[in-house]
Amino acid sequence: MKKQILILPLLFFILLLIAFFYILVIERNPSEIPSNLLNKNVPVFKADSLIKKEKFISSKEFGNQILLVNFFATWCKPCRDEHIYIKRFSSNLNIRVVGINYKDDPKKTLRWLKNLGNPYSNIALDKTGKIAIEWGVYGIPETFIVNSKGVIKYRRVGPINEKIFKKINIIIDKINNEE
Amino acid sequence: MKNKEIILNKIFVIIVALFFAELIFLNSKAVEPDEILNNPKLEIRARNISKNIRCMICQNQSIDESNASLAKDLRILIRDKIKEGKKDVEIYKFLTDRYGDFILLKPPIKSNTIALWFLPFVFLLIGILIVFWHNKKSKKIKN
Repeated sequence: MKKQILILPLLFFILLLIAFFYILVIERNPSEIPSNLLNKNVPVFKADSLIKKEKFISSKEFGNQILLVNFFATWCKPCRDEHIYIKRFSSNLNIRVVGINYKDDPKKTLRWLKNLGNPYSNIALDKTGKIAIEWGVYGIPETFIVNSKGVIKYRRVGPINEKIFKKINIIIDKINNEE
Repeated sequence: MKNKEIILNKIFVIIVALFFAELIFLNSKAVEPDEILNNPKLEIRARNISKNIRCMICQNQSIDESNASLAKDLRILIRDKIKEGKKDVEIYKFLTDRYGDFILLKPPIKSNTIALWFLPFVFLLIGILIVFWHNKKSKKIKN
């Protein structure tokens, strides 16, 4: 009886090892924090638009159809890297993409879009970073999927790559089937 | 030889002095002069809130210590909210509504964090029990 009990700590230790190893092996980015805005309505805000004369009003932009919201800036290198995927969404897949230009120079942004192409249907200017705070954004680029009721269904922190591109497509298909 | 010793001594004193100076200035490093509120009472409130708010970019620093631009934005936002007359609770709620509980450096006691808060005490209790149990047994053997 006494000797059998001695094996318990060893078993416990092995279990711990397996648990830690599992966490180490699965694909997980500890700096990526789940959004607190998931399944909540998009924040209400008003801002200047980069490409339209009239103001960017959130209630007019969101809640009509599924769309992507992409926080970007010309000074952010990963934003340039993901631009090709943002373009694929809007031109190949006909998904509306709303851009939010974070703490940037409008002139530079216009030049940037001229060189790389403009995938955005409208762009809000977030000069002070306040809109980003409303969305709980902490590191651009960040991309959100908003459904046709104006509810946030997914958030990606960091650039979109091939894998995330596919993932977003699957999620959009799923939302489309549900609606 | 003696000269060398004196110089080394002086260098040592300077290093120690710098170390202490660093300690004293440490908590007011990130807050920039243009952010500080005129009313010292409100400023202290802002500083106290900032010390509890995590910088989402550096993650192990509070926004009071961080030089990240988001930390600065949040410090200004907290001060704006205080000026608007918002209570501390309302400001914390504004931030956790957007960034989740993760933005608080101290996790709140909730149903999903109970284990985090109280398991250490449970383990301590188990440890004490094991020691007692072991003691009792060895006494029996001695007798």
